[in-house]
Order: sequence, then structure tokens, then C-alpha cells
Amino acid sequence: MQRLTVTALNVFVFLLAACGVAPAPAPQIQSATDSIDLSGIKDFLLNQSQELTTAANDLQAAADRYYALAETAGFDYAALWSSQRDAVISELEAARMAWMAASPAYEKMEGIVAGTPSLAQFDVDLDAGAAAADDPESAVSFDITLPDGRVLAQPGNLFGVTESTLWGTEPAYDSGVVADWNADGTVAFGENLPDANVLKGSADLLATMASDLEAAGRAWTPSESDAFTALVVMVPTMNEYFGSWRDSRFVLGDASTQRDFAVISRLSDIVDILSGLELVYAQVRPRVERVDTDQAAQIATDLRALKAFVADVYAQEQGGKRFTPEEADTLGAEAQNRATAITGQISQVAEALGVTIVE
Amino acid sequence: MRTYWIVLVLVAVLLGGAPRLYAQQPTPGQAAETVRAALVQAQLAMSDDPQAAAVHLTTAQMVYAEALAATLRRDAPAADARIRVGLTWAEQALAAGNGPAFAAARAQIWTAILAGGYQVVTTALAADDAVTAQRWLPVREFRHATRFSRPNADATRAVQRTLRRESDAATALLAVHADLLDTYQARLTEALATLRSANAQGFALRSAEAAALAEGYVAILAPAYAEQRGTVALAELETALATLRIAAVDGTGITPILEQVETRLSGFRAAPLSPAELSRRTGQMLRFLSLVPIEYARGVRNGQVTIDLEIREAITFHAGAHAAFADLRDQLEQRDRAATDRIVDQFAAIDAILAAAGGRSAVADPAEVTQRSEALLSELRTLLPPEWQLQDGGADFDVVRTALDQMEQAVRAGEYALAESARLEAYAIMEIGPEVKLIAFAPQLKPVIEGYFWYGQAEYKGLAYLIARNAPPSEIAATRVELDKALAEAERVLAGSNAPAAITFNASIIVFREGLEAVLILASLLGSLKIGAQRRFRWPLWIGAGIALLATVLTWALARGALLAMARFGERLEAIVSLIAIAVLLLITNWFFHDIYWKSWMSNFHQQKRRILGGSAGQWLGLMLLGFTSIYREGFETVLFLQALVLEGGTQVVLLGVGIGLVLTLLIGLAVFGLQAKLPHKKMLIVTGVLIGAVLLQMVGNTVHVMQVIGWMSIHPIRWLELPYWIGFWFGLYATWEGILFQAAAASFVIGSYVLAEHMHKRTRIKQTPAATPRGA
Repeated sequence: MQRLTVTALNVFVFLLAACGVAPAPAPQIQSATDSIDLSGIKDFLLNQSQELTTAANDLQAAADRYYALAETAGFDYAALWSSQRDAVISELEAARMAWMAASPAYEKMEGIVAGTPSLAQFDVDLDAGAAAADDPESAVSFDITLPDGRVLAQPGNLFGVTESTLWGTEPAYDSGVVADWNADGTVAFGENLPDANVLKGSADLLATMASDLEAAGRAWTPSESDAFTALVVMVPTMNEYFGSWRDSRFVLGDASTQRDFAVISRLSDIVDILSGLELVYAQVRPRVERVDTDQAAQIATDLRALKAFVADVYAQEQGGKRFTPEEADTLGAEAQNRATAITGQISQVAEALGVTIVE
Repeated sequence: MRTYWIVLVLVAVLLGGAPRLYAQQPTPGQAAETVRAALVQAQLAMSDDPQAAAVHLTTAQMVYAEALAATLRRDAPAADARIRVGLTWAEQALAAGNGPAFAAARAQIWTAILAGGYQVVTTALAADDAVTAQRWLPVREFRHATRFSRPNADATRAVQRTLRRESDAATALLAVHADLLDTYQARLTEALATLRSANAQGFALRSAEAAALAEGYVAILAPAYAEQRGTVALAELETALATLRIAAVDGTGITPILEQVETRLSGFRAAPLSPAELSRRTGQMLRFLSLVPIEYARGVRNGQVTIDLEIREAITFHAGAHAAFADLRDQLEQRDRAATDRIVDQFAAIDAILAAAGGRSAVADPAEVTQRSEALLSELRTLLPPEWQLQDGGADFDVVRTALDQMEQAVRAGEYALAESARLEAYAIMEIGPEVKLIAFAPQLKPVIEGYFWYGQAEYKGLAYLIARNAPPSEIAATRVELDKALAEAERVLAGSNAPAAITFNASIIVFREGLEAVLILASLLGSLKIGAQRRFRWPLWIGAGIALLATVLTWALARGALLAMARFGERLEAIVSLIAIAVLLLITNWFFHDIYWKSWMSNFHQQKRRILGGSAGQWLGLMLLGFTSIYREGFETVLFLQALVLEGGTQVVLLGVGIGLVLTLLIGLAVFGLQAKLPHKKMLIVTGVLIGAVLLQMVGNTVHVMQVIGWMSIHPIRWLELPYWIGFWFGLYATWEGILFQAAAASFVIGSYVLAEHMHKRTRIKQTPAATPRGA
């Protein structure tokens, strides 16, 4: 009887455990990856990052040569310009050419880098981050220590720093020496002598970061969550890109006070970014089709139409049309509307698929 | 005429031609997008190529007529009428080359299409026609994504559930209303902001478009506005908006009328937040805000910013708090406009300080940030209704995720010490809020989440492990993704447990369960002290248990204030308490077999001897400590468990549950102690000895588990052994080599102690048995 009582107590405890406080089923947590093949995204990223690394190394080499010239002149830029004019122009043109190759190489993969949580900091530091003085919340994470010991504290993204140094849109990064490159009596946009310390310091860091991004890309295995997050994060940023285009030299001309995006039209960047995102979507489209084939086709069509819309505006600009700020604003709003509609559709599909969109 | 044929061919291709997408009639969503895009193209082409603009406009007209008009005319005649008027206005504007008028007409057509889509969906759901609702739901807009938000899928999810018959159409209707009204109110706010900005820059087309958009969105929100403010107020608002549109199209001054419109909209929320959402936003705001001075103080030393990431964290938390406040502002203004205005100013003042520190233009003293934050919190707590301030688990999860975002950001910046700090912060928030509830309601998720936070779970390494080894961001992000899934699962599980009745029930279950454990332990211990003089040893156990009860009450009183500080060490505290209890239990078990049990069959010689030597004082102390640790351990757990419920449901609701649980425990206690009294001493000793051994094994298993969780002990999982979660929860048996080995060692100790005691007992009996006396001696 006594044993029975103790046993009954134990049974009671078991019953309490089984049906009382906690539900019995094991947690239903889905796997990070699914069966679709996302290797195309990684291949694309690696191709682009190799291209970026090569161009960044070329930029670093040209910056080193320019630095050596300046060092020989004792960093007396007036003397440098008068004594080494042709060599200086040659090295700076080589540096600019390398920058012009590096920037689009990155832009094509920016959608993936910025939209992938594990890679996103590269985007902040390479292309999107602000200077801490302007916007501390979205500032870059690094300081640049220059060869002469000066430190540029969180100066903004590296493409912006190198661009503004090479083309003279940031006075603080310029030597201040008037340099009429083509000797036509007028110092036009881009006729400047950069501060060799700033150019070398920023080019060195750009090369290092490009190499780091390539390594991170190799270590990365894209997941469905990464792909959908990249689409949802990057597609609706059109307004921001159009905003920087509206405020750039391509719309405002000499009235522009914007430091960055003065050399390559932001419209070109947007087309490149959307190309990368189209590739990302192509990889996950088979999954979307399992939920809704019409929706899958609609998203593809809308993405293509958005890219065509921007490409058309870019073609007009290349054809010589100068858009007004209001037109730029209207175009930006339209691009944003289209992008938001696409993002909305992708979010609905991700929900239906149970794919996590990382915030 | 030529234009007509061009358009006809275009539309024919679009609607019935080659592309696979349009092999059938386009969906309403596709058709609506075609109309919208064609109108934009028309506006863009107006100045340079009016003929192309006309083609685009005709395309819009024909697609509307072919694909949308019939349904809208039937289900949403008012919207259909506005679209037709808009198309006529667009034709007139195009003919007159009036860009602003065309932009306004375009906006009217588009918002009327949105209104029509909304009407079709709600009409369909009201008729239980989820198929039509699903088909027309894509005729909608979404909130623009921000850093803190993504487009939600509430309406889509609800309609899909209805289609699958998992939910009824009425539920879906509520979700659709909430989602779309919220979206269009956000769009209305944006349109008014755009109008103000465009007007300031002298953008005539953008101004006209934005004014017409605002009017169109209000047309969608009109029923909600009329319900809250009355039809007269709605009519006044509509008149003001029409005046605003006309002024924007004409290029006359809009500022006074814009202000009038904004005043009329002030405090209006088309889709009022549900009580749960209000509580969640409140929780987010208060938690984020309380973290701002902490982060700021960490980032500033001697008037200099020393750690940028900490300042950025402070800025992020402040932005999060402000975003939550923005969602509540309308309702707070209705409660006390002056106080709300003061809060707006206080938010702005802190924002300015943080921005200055972020830009290093000026660095305020941390004490000032603390003082301003506390003042703001105080003002908010006064203004916010108490029911909103009841703890919301969802807000906890939001804050945990934000802290984890900061952790990842620090990792990407190579700042691993800061990343560890952010990880600990996230874990501390998890501990004081959701985790204790998880223990109570979904214990199977607790080890999963802890594993991701600390030293690993399944094939993923834990965050603590990874950060300590400066793992690359990709590895940490992979674990984070898995942790997010587990957190989402936990949030989902916990979301349904906040009804007062459920809270009372859960509180009673917790108290009863913990009380039952305490009764069993106490019964086991007391049962071993039933023989003769040993009865007096029951007193120290009772005294220890009584002190533990008092300590539990004291812990309860202290817990509220000290919860945050304790939570950071909660697992460590639990481990230490458990280790003490195990040590005492091992000593007592050994003593039990070698002393009480052994002596129960021996003469009281040694006991008298020990008393003489003063040994009983040690026994008293040991038994008191045993009684105390056994009961206080349960009491401490109970207090921690209940704190989460108190924060969620209020003290009264929880105390009711505590009362029920105590009554049940008391009844079980009476039954157990009553039955014990009838048990034969020898058998009772054996039974209670086994029970004590079981308690010891459970305690060892759980303590090893806790020590593994906090990283005091390594983890070597037994991957082939899958144990149901309740085995671990109730018996401390987890599939790790450490846990199993220590439990085996404890079992060996107990059994060995028993065997040794038996052996010594036999030897003693042999020695004490007198030699056989010769018959007749």
C-alpha cells in the first residue's frame, strides 16, 4: 500500500510533467538552407570581388607611385607640379582609371554585399557609410592612419574618400596647388593635385578591404534567407540612390556641393545594383514558383521593368539630356514606388515560404 | 487615329499576346501596375513628346477598361467614378500641357484604384469569397521599408489562412483592415511630408501630385475618420484637402491650408493599435530609452568619445525609442497634448546630444544624458496608461534582437570586446524577461536559445564561444540566424499566454509544481527521522524550511528592484545555490547511511557519545542548512518565474495563482505527511533514501547543465542519444557526457555509501553478536 502510494505520487509527477506546464513537442525550427542551388550568387560575388581586388591593387600601385614622386619633392606640391608634371598626370590618370574600374566592379555586387547580413559592413565601409561628422548613426567603422601619422577619423566610405581625393571634390584631401592639367588657362573640374598622404592611406585601405571582402565571400555560403534579405533590403533603396544622383554634378552641375558620385553617374550604379539583384532573384525564383508561378513571373517582370526604367533615364542622360532637380525627384519617387511594390511582393512570398528576412 | 492603332496593338500584346505572363487575362495587380506605370510615363513624356504621352495615357485607359473597370463598377462604384473623372482630367491636362494638373489627376486615378482594390477585397471577404480576395489583394501599396521595418504580410497571411480554411473570413477581414489602413495612413503622412518639401523647393508637379495623393489616401481612410470624428469633421477635412490640391495645382500658397489639414489629422489613427501592440510599442520605447544612458556612459570618458560603437548603440537605441514613440504619439496627444509636446522636446534634446557626440562636435557629460533620459522616462511613465506599461514579451524580443544587431555590428568592426558586451546585454534582457517564462511555459526552447547564446547548439557554435575566439562575422551571423529562428519560435509560443486567466493558471501551476518538489524533498528528509530520538532532528529541518520560506518572501520583495542586476548573474547564482545544495546533500547522504540509517539498527551509543562531544550542534546546523537550501532553491526559482508573470499580468492576477498553487501544495503536503506517519520506519527509511538519491541525481544533472550553460563546464554532447525534453526538465538528465558522468558518479557515491554502510553494519553486528553460550552455562 505504501509502495503504491509512493508510486502513485511519482506517476502524478510524470503526468504533471507530461501535460501540465510545458507543451511536449520538440521545437519546430527550420533549417537555414533549403534544397535550391544558390551557388550562382556566390560565383557572381567572387567574380566581382576578384575584379574589385585587381582594380584596387592597381589603384594602390598608382597611389604608391604618386606618393613616391611627392616624397621625392619633399611634399612640396608646387615644386612637384613644376618639376614632374607629366609623371604626376600619368600616375593620377592611372589611379583614376583604376578607380573607374573598381567602382562599377563593386556596384554590380553591392546588392548582394549590402543585403547579406554577414557581409553588410563591407558595404558601409566601402561604399555606403557616412562620415561620423555628418551622420554618426550610419558612419563607417574605420579611421585612416596616413603615412605622415595623421588620422582621418571615420571619414566616410572608401570609394567616397578616394574619389574626392582623386578628383578634388574634398578640399581637405587636396594639396591646394593650382594645377591646370591641359594648360588651357582654366582649371576645370578634376584638374587638381591630391594630397599624396591621403591618397596613399585611403588606397591602401581600399585594397586591404577589397581583399578582405574577397576572402569573406569565399567563406560565405549563401542561404535562402540571405538571398531574400538582400532583395528586401536593397530593392527599396531607390529613393536614396536617386537622391544622391539629384544632388550630384550630373544634375546640378557646378552648383553641386556633394563630395561623392561626381565621376560616375549614380544612375549607372543603380543599373549595376539591379543587375546583381536580378541575378539573386533568378536563383530563388524556382522557390517562389512553388508558391505562386504568377507572382514569380510578376516579380521578375517588375524587377526587369525597374532596371529598364532606370537604364532608360541613364541612356537619356548619356545622350546629353540634363534632368532638372524636380524631374530627378519625380523619377526617384517613381523608382521608389516600383521598388516598394516589388519588395512587398517578395516579403509576401518569403512569408509564405517561411524564409526569415533578417532585420 | 494613328495613335489609337498604336495603342490598340500595344494593349493587344499586353493583354493577349506573346509573353507567357499575360497568356491569360492579367491579374488585377498586374493591370493596376500597368495603369500606374503608363500614367507615370505619360507625365514624364508630356513636355518632350506629347504624342508619346498620349499613347501612354490611352494605354492606361484601355487597360483599366479591359481589366479592372467591370469589377470596380460593381463592387466599388465610388472608386470607379473617381477613376473615370481622373482619366478625363488627365486628358484635359495633357491637351492643355498642364503638368501639375496631370500629376494631380494621375495621383487621383491611382489612389482611387487602391481604394477600389481595398473595397473589392473587403466585399469578397464579407461574402466569404477568399479566392476573389486573394486575387485582388495585390492591388495595394505597402509601407515604405525603413531601417526598422519591412513590409508586413499580415493581410496576405490572413487571406491565405482563410483560403486553407485555417481561419474564418471575418478574422481575415480584420487583418486586412488593420494592414491596409495602417499602410495608407503611413502613405498619407509621407504624402504630406513630400508636399511640404516639394513646395519648399518650388517643385510644382511634385506638389500637385503629393496634394492629390493626400486627398486620395484620405478618401480611403474616410470611413474610419468619420467613425472617430463624425461626418461633419470628415466633410471639413475633405473640403480642406480639395482646396489644398487646387492650390498646389495652381501654384498658389499652400502653407496655411496644409497646416489646417495637418491639424485636422492630428491624433487620428485609422487603424488604432491593438492593446497588445500598444503594450509592445510602450515596452520597446521604455526599454530602448533606458539603455541610451548606459551605452552613452560606456562610450565617453573625460569629455571625449572613447568608444564610437557605444555612441552609435546609444543613437540606435534612441532612434528605436523614438520610432516607437511616433507610433504612440497620436494617442498620447489625446491624453495630454502639453505633456506629449514636452516629451517631443525631450526626445529632440537627447537626440541633439547624441548627434553631437556622434559627430564629435560636442560631448555632453554622461550624467546629463542620464538625467535627461530619466526625466524623459519619468514623464513617459506618468503619461502612459498603466495597462500599456504591463510588460510585453514581444518588446523584450525586439530589444534582444536590437542588442544582437549591435553585437554583429561590433563583430564586423572587429570590436570583439564590445560584441561580447552587446551579447551579454541581449542575454540579460532575455533572462529577465522571456527566459523565465520559457522555463515555465516552453522549457524545451530554453536550452536551445541558451546554446546559441553561449557555447553551442547542434552544429552551430554558441555566440560566446565564437566571440571569445574572434570568429569571422559570417560564422557569427550563421549562429545569429539560427538564434533568431529560435527566438521567433519562442516568441510565437509565448505570445498566447498573456490572458489574465492563463497567467493565474500558470502561476498556480508553477507554485504547485515547485511546492510539490519541496514537499517531496521535505517528506523524504523528515521520513528518515521518525525513529525515536531522531524525531528531534526534524526540528532543524523545519526551521531551515521556515527560514527558506521567509527568505523566499524576502526575495520576492527584493526581486522587483534588483531584477536587472540579479539577472545578469542569474544562472551563476542558480549554479552556486545548486552546488551548495549538492554538497550538503552528499554530506547528508553519506551521514544518512553511516549515521542515521546505520544507527537506527544500532544502539544509541554513538549518538549519545556524539551529543556529549558536542557533535549534535553540527548535525543541527547541517540539517537546518539542508532544509533551507532544499526549499529556498525552489523558492528562488518560483520567485524568478513569477516575476515575469507579475510584469506581464500584474500582481493581483499572479497572487491569485500563487494562492491556488499554495492551497494545492498544502493539500498534497498534508496527504504526504499524513501517509508518512503510517509508514513503517525501516521501509520509510529505504524509500526516503531512494528519494533523496533521486533528488541528488536530479540536482547534479541540472547543476551540470546550468554550469554548461554559463560556460563553467565544457559540453560534449552525446549526439546519438535523443532524450525527450521533459527528462531533462524533471530529472536533470541531458544528453551530454559531463551530465551523465557526474550523475553516474553521484549515483556511485550514494550506492557505494550504502554498500559501505551495509558492510560496516554487518561487521559491527558480527562483532557485537556474543559468542554462542554453551548450553547450560
